[in-house]
Amino acid sequence: MVDKPALTEKVVFTSGLRSEGVAARLGALLGISFTLALITGLFSHFMQHPPPWLDWPSRPIGLYRVTQGVHVISGLATIPLLLAKLWAVYPKLWQWPPFRSAAHAVERAFVLLLVAGALFQLFTGLLNIAYTYPWSFFFPAAHYWTSFIVYGALIIHVVTEWSKVRRSVPVPLEPARRRFLLTIGAASGLTVLLTVGEAFAPLRRLALIAPRNPAIGPQGLPVNRTSQAAGVRPVDASYRLVVTGAVQAEYSYQDLVRLPQHTVELPIACVEGWSASARWTGVRLRDLVAGAPPDALVTVESLERPSGVYRTSELRPPHWNDPLTLLALRVNGETLHLEHGYPLRLIAPDRPGVMQTKWVTKVVVS
Amino acid sequence: MSGYRMVGYAAGAGLVLLGFAGLLADADQTRPLSWAVWFGGILIAHDLLLVPLVLATGVLTRRMRRPYRAALVIGAVITLVALPMVLGFGRRADNPSQLPLDYGLNLVVILAVIAAAGFAAGTLARVREARPPRPRG
Repeated sequence: MVDKPALTEKVVFTSGLRSEGVAARLGALLGISFTLALITGLFSHFMQHPPPWLDWPSRPIGLYRVTQGVHVISGLATIPLLLAKLWAVYPKLWQWPPFRSAAHAVERAFVLLLVAGALFQLFTGLLNIAYTYPWSFFFPAAHYWTSFIVYGALIIHVVTEWSKVRRSVPVPLEPARRRFLLTIGAASGLTVLLTVGEAFAPLRRLALIAPRNPAIGPQGLPVNRTSQAAGVRPVDASYRLVVTGAVQAEYSYQDLVRLPQHTVELPIACVEGWSASARWTGVRLRDLVAGAPPDALVTVESLERPSGVYRTSELRPPHWNDPLTLLALRVNGETLHLEHGYPLRLIAPDRPGVMQTKWVTKVVVS
Repeated sequence: MSGYRMVGYAAGAGLVLLGFAGLLADADQTRPLSWAVWFGGILIAHDLLLVPLVLATGVLTRRMRRPYRAALVIGAVITLVALPMVLGFGRRADNPSQLPLDYGLNLVVILAVIAAAGFAAGTLARVREARPPRPRG
């Protein structure tokens, strides 16, 4: 059944660019984009909060870098798609009568959740990667739970509208409407082109509106948590790395320097989407916990003041056994800058940046 | 109603409920009141401010050449995405690598390039229109 356009649509909304075909195509693209966001987002969430039975693999080393880069950059690319889609169906907001039946009212309530939720995810997400938090909620928690509301409402919307998609997508669009979609596509593509360099170094010169440049920062590497934010001061000769639990040892800074050193090329991949590769030199974690039971959990602890959410991070067997996992003393051929975790930081493959603990002072083997 | 539809509605409603349940269960982190203000506030700002503004612009630029309008749409989207960086509320004195660029200048350059491209496309279209149609033969 075809909806008859209401009077308002004929008189007030005169643009000929709106049509079922335009809305259906944008809707299909949004469905794909939000599905991609949900998958990559859940991957990031459960990497940071793994259930006991789930040991993430430590390879490929750049997997998290790619999934999280896709999550954020495709999220930015979705902004023009969502705005265009909402513009294309905007007259429906003012349809009269507003509710034809109880079922129609319920359907519209879910559409309200979908629209509000999709706008919320993209807008607060954009502010979050720009380090702007004008709200009192903790962004990761709000973003995580809202994603279920959005995706649930999206499934209901797809079920409701599927017949329109099947009916109108195979029908070619008129030139003017095709040009409108091409314009929106160009806006999406340009958004990607001007931001993707924060994760994809070859395009970093084009990342003119990205919040990060992978080559800018101390020692040519961006910093997320600063020593000031973490309440960390430069250490003196009294610094010790303490290994405790199933393996017990204690090392001064000089002891660590004298241990066998390894150099690895690994990315820092931030949950905010940016990532940057660097050459790290240090001691293999598995050498420091040699003799630990094969299923042991290894927790590294930072000098950071106790209130920090990311003061400690846990490594499951695939990560602490990996020869690429280091407690690094140097980056890009220089002694670690304080902002990169001097005297000692964790660097491991395929792992969110918030779990690459800096200023490491303790390793607990349990 | 077909079985597929029922499964879809049930799965969708279940996920929505899960989302709200999680929001409430994690209230110490999600701050439901703050969440609700932003959830509703962004919707209202979009439906009652942004879209009417776009509609008004659409009416005002009715007679504008198509490439110019396209440049306007693309420029507006890029401006919106770049705005949080341009405003720079996320800058921190102790972290120069956070928002390290001159985003205002960058945005001006990008908009100038978009405008130039739109102008070039518009001029090209005008030249094409002015050309007499070829005689067929």
